[in-house]
Amino acid sequence: MAQKMLVVDYSKCTGCRTCEMACSLYREGKCSPALSRNRVVKFEVEGVNVPTTCANCGKPYCMLICPMKAIVIDNRTGAVVVNEEKCVGCRACAVACPLGQANYHPERKVAIKCDLCGGDPQCVRFCPSGAISYQTMDQSLMNKRRQFFSRILQEGVS
Amino acid sequence: MTYGWNGKRLRVDLSSGKVTIEEIPERFREKWLGGRGFNSAVLYEEVGPDVEPFDPDNRLIFGVGPLTGTFSPSSGRTTITSRSPLQYPSGHGDANMGGHFGAELKYAGYDQIVIQGKASHPVYLWINDDKVEIRDARHLWGKRVSVSDAMIKEELRDQDMHIALIGPAGENMVRFACIINDVSRAAGRTGMGAVMGSKNLKAIAVRGSNPVCVADPKGFFRVCADLRERMRSDPMVQMLYDQGTWLLTMPANYEQGWFCWRNFQKGFHPEASKLSGENHRDNFLAHREGCFACPICCGRYSRIGNGEYAGERGGGPEYETLTAVGPKIGLLDPGSVIHNSFLLNEYGMDSCSCGGAIAWAMECWEKGLLDEKDTGGISLEWGDQKTIDRLLHMIANREGFGSILAEGAYRSAMHFNRGFEYTMTIKGHEMSQDDPRGLGFAFGIGFATGRRGADHLQGLPCLELTGAFYPGLVEKVLGTKEAEERLSTVKKPQMQKYQEDVKAVGDSLTMCTFTHSWSFAVLPEDMAAILSAAVGRQYSPEELIHIGGRIVHLERAYWNRVLVGRLEDKNPERFTKEPMPEGPNKGTVFPEKELLPKYYEVRGWDSETGFPKEEVLHDYDLESVAIDLRPYRQAYLKRLESLGT
Repeated sequence: MAQKMLVVDYSKCTGCRTCEMACSLYREGKCSPALSRNRVVKFEVEGVNVPTTCANCGKPYCMLICPMKAIVIDNRTGAVVVNEEKCVGCRACAVACPLGQANYHPERKVAIKCDLCGGDPQCVRFCPSGAISYQTMDQSLMNKRRQFFSRILQEGVS
Repeated sequence: MTYGWNGKRLRVDLSSGKVTIEEIPERFREKWLGGRGFNSAVLYEEVGPDVEPFDPDNRLIFGVGPLTGTFSPSSGRTTITSRSPLQYPSGHGDANMGGHFGAELKYAGYDQIVIQGKASHPVYLWINDDKVEIRDARHLWGKRVSVSDAMIKEELRDQDMHIALIGPAGENMVRFACIINDVSRAAGRTGMGAVMGSKNLKAIAVRGSNPVCVADPKGFFRVCADLRERMRSDPMVQMLYDQGTWLLTMPANYEQGWFCWRNFQKGFHPEASKLSGENHRDNFLAHREGCFACPICCGRYSRIGNGEYAGERGGGPEYETLTAVGPKIGLLDPGSVIHNSFLLNEYGMDSCSCGGAIAWAMECWEKGLLDEKDTGGISLEWGDQKTIDRLLHMIANREGFGSILAEGAYRSAMHFNRGFEYTMTIKGHEMSQDDPRGLGFAFGIGFATGRRGADHLQGLPCLELTGAFYPGLVEKVLGTKEAEERLSTVKKPQMQKYQEDVKAVGDSLTMCTFTHSWSFAVLPEDMAAILSAAVGRQYSPEELIHIGGRIVHLERAYWNRVLVGRLEDKNPERFTKEPMPEGPNKGTVFPEKELLPKYYEVRGWDSETGFPKEEVLHDYDLESVAIDLRPYRQAYLKRLESLGT
């Protein structure tokens, strides 16, 4: 079965940052955007909010560059996971990730990143607008296609 | 280690440039909770009746609470408190804003900022965790809100800070200037921006990197998660998400008859649907905006597609703003209304009061009390958008006739010494666009007695408006279902008391009113559970409501100390004497004479003076306040005697 992934639709994002709070409290037991695995980039004047999440890539740069082989792919969920026992906190992953999604824990001094909460991502669970969803790529694209063509259908009918 | 609270107050003296960090002791935290409670306590203590609003000794206080910046739903708000330059006489001023500033202040390590003194030239404050700097702001002076926000971010090389600032209106000490954060989230009421301007303080920029720790992370997560799930299926939350507060237009006008038309002359207009939530959603909404960690997301970001203002876009407006610079001044065109709201944000002016001042002038013009000699050649026809647009610029920049209106409706009437009957103000503060002759009678009590002067947010007693959506709720709280009726007098004093106490708790935690007093998804027992898990001490709902009552009483005492009591607790006569002329509740007046004495009785306030009785203050552990008030009580009695009332 195809694995689900985090899918972002920034046009739906309200910029509320509930995802940051859900993530940091669930994963770290503290409320702190800086400890969250995902962040919302806000452009207040332009009125654009972009929720950014880890793509959990198929060939993750963070994993490839890690000198300690501390980053591995969880075959069940497809998540790219940090083994904190092995991690030395060199932050090569943060440099390598083009999406800026490998974070660093200032106290534990290790890399922290999205691991899909073991298959039940809390950012998705609490996002009030559906801007972050957890679905297979096929399902996500079918939704997008359907949205596009229902608009055309509607315009055609009216 | 503290949980929930940071336990730290930042004090900045702009006269000397001295910055100090003070501990907020546990006893103080438990007595006043946070946000509004913290601020009201400091204001009462430090700003006596001899300190005028624009004196450097006045304080400008920013407060957040134990839940601010956490996963608790809709808990990122900030209360700003000061002695108000807008009210007449000047009393307890406070305003509240959403956005993300409050959460950032928590991450920087503070629960409160107290600003005192006055800078010798324009400055702004840069708070970067424990590094606090007072920086030159001369190059920002005169700049509009969005421009100033961008310039500060550029200058400090950080796009992710959150900035609370004033626009030109605050700099010019327009008495209803507001403070805005995140470009469009306003702490609107009672002229807090004018106080900030009087101190030569342009902005407070905050960046924080510390976490907010909670005592029981798993328990706290569970309570927040449950509440968020309940909110997701809540009917009011769903409607607020869908249409924002614009959803009010249709029921306010067509079903309930409190749609503010032309300075409250009527509560109904046949074409109100132009400003409906559906119309805004389908034709103007670019996207929905959420304040910090809020699942309601009632905020709007609007884009004007066509007409004179085509291409303009920005945050807002919400219902009070769209009605204040819309129907209250005779305007129903949504494009114009949205444009006006953008201008208010850029200049940093409160919509309710600014619209109130213009509405006053337009009614005086209509009634022949003002003419072109008074206005400098401007004619003031209802709904004339060209004039309205011009007036907004003139007020913010204090030009000509605009400089008079910049004093607010009540002081404008004083300036001309006429038109007092058309100042829709209470204690000199302009009404929000809510008419008790239709909205409900508990609201009317809150208008007359509330801490801000006229304002719907004393308690937002929506048990009489939306209570019926929650089967059994009104009966559970008040013992009878009859109180669900907006225009019934049954149990309305009790309803107002209950809701203003709950709201004082919400404002102190700081949890948005829409979670607990419009939607009732969050009940006092939920607040108690969430707070207990956050701070690690068991709170009961009764204890919280008691603290809420304490806050309400301290704010009342603030007013009493400036010799305001029963005589000043008075709705505009339009609400109590002029029956609603048409619409669904034609013929209704607000029965103030019947309800206020009952409210005083329920609150334990003296029926003659309207001052809280000493034993009631003792119940709330306000013994020293009871002693403070003695000379003022005597002075007030003397005044009553001299007036023969």
